[in-house]
Amino acid sequence: MTKTILAVDDSGSLRQMLSFSLKAAGYGVIEAVDGQDGLAKAKQQKVDLVLTDQNMPGMDGLSLIKALRGMANYKSVPILMLTTESGDDIKAMGKAAGATGWLVKPFDPARLTEVVKKLIG
Amino acid sequence: MASCDPSANDRMQVQVASLLSGVSAHGDQHLAEVERDLVQMDVLLDEAIKKLCASFMAIHQAIGMQQETLDSVLSAGSTAPEQSERLQALRDEISRHVGAAVTGLQFQDMTSQLIGRMVQHLAGLRDVFGALGANGTAALPESGSEEMLAMLDRISDRVGARCSELNGLARSTVNQRHMESGDIELF
Repeated sequence: MTKTILAVDDSGSLRQMLSFSLKAAGYGVIEAVDGQDGLAKAKQQKVDLVLTDQNMPGMDGLSLIKALRGMANYKSVPILMLTTESGDDIKAMGKAAGATGWLVKPFDPARLTEVVKKLIG
Repeated sequence: MASCDPSANDRMQVQVASLLSGVSAHGDQHLAEVERDLVQMDVLLDEAIKKLCASFMAIHQAIGMQQETLDSVLSAGSTAPEQSERLQALRDEISRHVGAAVTGLQFQDMTSQLIGRMVQHLAGLRDVFGALGANGTAALPESGSEEMLAMLDRISDRVGARCSELNGLARSTVNQRHMESGDIELF
């Protein structure tokens, strides 16, 4: 069965590149434009992995992770942060919020799919 | 002494007010131009990335179809091993270039964040200039150095308050200086 990934980013071009790379690797992709939209789509359909940006209008990535970790069916779903930020402080906040990993933009499609494959097969 | 001359005092006050409002108006005007250009640049970059992404997707799709066609042609007849190897090498090369293009096409996400932050700082700077020019000639004290000093103190306080607000603006979230792919860390 095709594994589904929720890609949350306020940048249209970033979502397009994520979707392109993940679909080419055989995954299904649901796109969301910000944290609030991501949370709504995660509630509508259980996904196998979440990839989220940090800085977005409205609900940011850290808030989205906290909200998802508060839901019973997302306690153990891998959540990767994909952001321009790389500071130790923000990474520690991500880890504390429940992120599974941290990817600094820009991403390389081969390396991204390698990590995703490692987490969900 | 010139400082005790009421008319010299008046002239000085007018000159100070004129200087402040001049700096305020010119500063604001130049910053408004920079802000307009940055917003326009953001719009152009947004449109450019949409076109680049659309063309990239179309090229990728066409190459995929071309490869499928080649595969069916080759499977119909006998192919020399060197031809098959050459085709595989070309596929690998295309794949590497596609990966590099996907990484490069993410530039707009970062430039847009940087432009947004610049626009915020420009708006803050315009507030500072606004505070500088808030005391126009209408608000000038009628006479006396003490009143003049009090007015300059008030302006200085307002500028200081705006500068503090400017320092408190959003921190930088983009520190990338090249377009190589970033680090990956699993917790």
